Amino acid sequence: MNGNGSVISVRGLRKSYGTFEAVRGISFEVQPGEVFGLLGPNGAGKTTTVEILEGLRQRSAGETLVLGYDPGLETRQIKDRIGVCLQATNLPDKIKVHEALELFSAFYSRNTDNKKLLERLQLTEKRNEYYSKLSGGQKQRVALALALVNDPQLLFLDEPTTGLDPQVRLEIHGLIQELRDAKRSILLTTHYIEEAERLCDRVAIIDEGQIIEIGSPREIQQRTLGTSLIEIQCEQPVPAGDPPPFLNGETHEFSADRKSLTVHSAHPARAIVDIVKWIDQLGIGLADIHLKRPTLEDVFIQLTGKRLRE
Amino acid sequence: MNAYTAQAAINVKLTFRDRTVIFFNYLFPLVFFFIFAQLYHAEQGGAIIQVLTMVLSIGILGSGFFGAGIRAVQEREANILRRFKVAPISAAPMLFASLLTGLLNFLPSAVMMLLLSHYIYGMAFPDRWLSLLIFVAIGAVAFRSIGLMIASVVNSMQESQIVIQLIYFPMLFLSGTTIPISIMPNWVQIIAHFIPATYLMTGMQSILGHKESLAQNAEPAGALLLTTVLATFLGVKLFRWEKEEKISGASKLWLLAVLSPFLLLGTYQAYTKTDVTKARVLNRDILRDRNVLIRNVRIFIGDGRVIESGAVLVKGGKIAHVYDGAAPDPKELKAEAIEASGKTLLPGLIDVHVHLAAPGGFSDSASDYEPGKTMPRALAAYLYSGITAVKSVGDPLDQILKVRTLVNSGERLGAELFTTGPMFTAAGGHGTEYFKNLPEQARKAAEDQTVRTPQTPDEARQQVDVLKQRGVDGIKTILEAGQAGMLFNRMDVNILRAIAEESRAQQLPLVIHTGDSRDVADALSAGTRGIEHGSARDKIPDELFAQMKAQGVAYDPTLTVLENLTALINGSSDPLERPLVLQSAPAALLDSTKKFLQSDKGAKMRDQMKLYHLNMDAAKDNLRRAWQSGVMLVTGSDAGNPLTLHGPTIQREVELWVEAGIPPAVALQAATYNAAKLLGQENRIGLIQEGHDANLLLVDGNPLKEIKQIESIQSVMLKGERISRSELFEQE
Repeated sequence: MNGNGSVISVRGLRKSYGTFEAVRGISFEVQPGEVFGLLGPNGAGKTTTVEILEGLRQRSAGETLVLGYDPGLETRQIKDRIGVCLQATNLPDKIKVHEALELFSAFYSRNTDNKKLLERLQLTEKRNEYYSKLSGGQKQRVALALALVNDPQLLFLDEPTTGLDPQVRLEIHGLIQELRDAKRSILLTTHYIEEAERLCDRVAIIDEGQIIEIGSPREIQQRTLGTSLIEIQCEQPVPAGDPPPFLNGETHEFSADRKSLTVHSAHPARAIVDIVKWIDQLGIGLADIHLKRPTLEDVFIQLTGKRLRE
Repeated sequence: MNAYTAQAAINVKLTFRDRTVIFFNYLFPLVFFFIFAQLYHAEQGGAIIQVLTMVLSIGILGSGFFGAGIRAVQEREANILRRFKVAPISAAPMLFASLLTGLLNFLPSAVMMLLLSHYIYGMAFPDRWLSLLIFVAIGAVAFRSIGLMIASVVNSMQESQIVIQLIYFPMLFLSGTTIPISIMPNWVQIIAHFIPATYLMTGMQSILGHKESLAQNAEPAGALLLTTVLATFLGVKLFRWEKEEKISGASKLWLLAVLSPFLLLGTYQAYTKTDVTKARVLNRDILRDRNVLIRNVRIFIGDGRVIESGAVLVKGGKIAHVYDGAAPDPKELKAEAIEASGKTLLPGLIDVHVHLAAPGGFSDSASDYEPGKTMPRALAAYLYSGITAVKSVGDPLDQILKVRTLVNSGERLGAELFTTGPMFTAAGGHGTEYFKNLPEQARKAAEDQTVRTPQTPDEARQQVDVLKQRGVDGIKTILEAGQAGMLFNRMDVNILRAIAEESRAQQLPLVIHTGDSRDVADALSAGTRGIEHGSARDKIPDELFAQMKAQGVAYDPTLTVLENLTALINGSSDPLERPLVLQSAPAALLDSTKKFLQSDKGAKMRDQMKLYHLNMDAAKDNLRRAWQSGVMLVTGSDAGNPLTLHGPTIQREVELWVEAGIPPAVALQAATYNAAKLLGQENRIGLIQEGHDANLLLVDGNPLKEIKQIESIQSVMLKGERISRSELFEQE
């Protein structure tokens, strides 16, 4: 644990490769039990930041402390205590699942019950399978299992679902949620908005080596652009004439057949009540109502003027 | 389990699951094993050692460069190492695991090859099997460490392929692994000794073939170990876990550091050439260890017996069996068959009287008098002519001993050499006249090497003892006073007696050069094993021959030198025109000799020589009566004297004997069994008999009927090696 109670503490972190500055003064802290996300496009500096914290790379400037150790100096202590799930790693084709776990267990000073670990990751049935015979999701579960063989207090998950099918991605999300419930601290990098929204307690949005926004996903959304989108489908066209009685400066537009209405509102809960009442008074049948909150994607576009997955 | 044992254990498991590993470690060498075995006729003898070591070396190189090197790069490129990077381990357990795995994979394969060599090709189990296995293990680990080191300094698979091919191919082709280095040009042999695999090959062959221990191969083993340490250390230091991490091109130079033990060893070898020598000897041993069956041949056993149609089986350089009549199927005997009907097989001929340092001709070129060059060339000329052993009786001691080692070890091909070193004579006696015109210092040096002139019996004894310590094969003493016009001081008989006694005590056969019958009488009373020359001036009384027979003394009339000196006096160059002489003597020497004979110098020499009374008839008469008296006769030529060129000396000698009325069988026995007996070697050479060295001369026709046939050489074998006669003079 770091002096201030955080598991990760980063101040003014910089990393240059020659003249190229990949990380330009990043600061954040991760609290015990927290799932902290680094969200940003490829090349934003997420992986560089994480690898510095894992002790794999030397920083150019700034202060970092991980579990009370300096990752630039006390690499071995940090490696021994953290769990890491890297993107795009492999194991030898002919290694069996349980052998991989046993092998990696031998590298750490602290171990966990591998049998239970396999069970928790639903790998018990596959324990005698060769690595090359596993599906993408199973391989990723093995990667997670390997990150857990030393029962780490702090986990680094670098793009844990990149390249996986949506179905498998959900599976992995479930596992990460379990880890979060077990109060493990997690630093997660991703360029998937849903992943950050769904899994992270707090998120730092990184672009071009800098944090441009930090906070819980909800806070960020509200702070940056506070309007939600309400879509209403009516059974008959809404007659032309009086506009709906909006109170908070909402804007709206009708579709050409005047059967659907889109409303932008900063207080969508209040607005929905008003709209439903109004339609009811007009004697028109309400077919459907849909509330769309602004996503981090929208936030990102708002902040940087570009899409995440460009 | 700690990181080392866990990584090693899984690595071993994984490689045994990997079919390509099984293929390259076991099946691949097996294929090569059988291909090489067939190519080198491993079933017919000692080539199996070569085949086995070649295949082991191929296996070790493959395991090192591909099993360890390429594989390590593959694991990095496949992002496997990356996973290990985040674990709290260094590269050391990874490298250790690879070294150990290579060893555990390779040793069973090596043992398998060893067993196949034994059970299929009849190779003897290595006496030093532990030394062999340890040496092989050191080699396997060393080359793996080099492979891993290469993986650590290359950036991509493509780069690794280039670097590995650059190192692998020279190791494969210039180290003896696929082509014996002893057949390569000299400059390639020098390059070869900068290549680690060369030492791997000679080390394994020495332990297998020469029954050497690991300690005797400490040099190559030490260099391999040092390379292992350097390569492993640098391999760990420069290890990279991810393909994205690049290393500078200059770091490839660390490879030179890893190979530095061999750069040093190579430089050392370029000066000493001890390993080149070793490689030549090892290769010679392999060439000598062939199974050959010479069949349907007339066999002159050597001691007078003749098998009219029989066969001789040669195995391991020795005569394994002599068949009277038909021999079994050569396939059954696992021998190569030589059809020899109409031919006669004799033991290799022996010349018991030569002076190798003298050229036998005349030359203006100083190099024709350079013993280091001319003596090995002369021995090659003898071997070319089917003379498989010669005895030098008066040559510079240091050089003749050097040449004896050079040729008798098998490093150079030539007739087996026996030597007395210098000759004993009186101060101012015969033998000293060659040096009397030299400047003081050169004269002293030459005399020191070539003659011994003891002043007292004690000094004589002491000189015999010193020669014994130097390792001479016998003692030669000159006892003659010369004749009118060419007088010499004659050795004091008390000194002669002392030499004879001490020679007997030291078990050195003594031969005494005599000029006339008085010398023969004194020599016999002093006690000698052989009379050289006898007399070409007077008649040796029958009583002396009777005494010779009684004492078992050999008589060597050296008629050849008489004939040739007579030719010189008559200005004839006939001795140079004999076909075998033309084939075996250096062409330049023949030319310069002919020119000399026609020159003023030649004429002057002829005039001086006319003072000699060389009486061939007297010499022949003495020989005939020696034979009639039952004296043991031996053949010597005194080659090195003017016009007696080194080469087919004994052919001419026996022809002269037959002219003198000696039956061909008697002459040929003198040239084989009897000569061997005088050398004290009759249990090893001079006979076609089971257990004897396979020194054989195959001639066309029947020399027992027509002695001239002894010049129709079909084939010569020395210690089991069929001599490629045409290549004898191309040896460097």
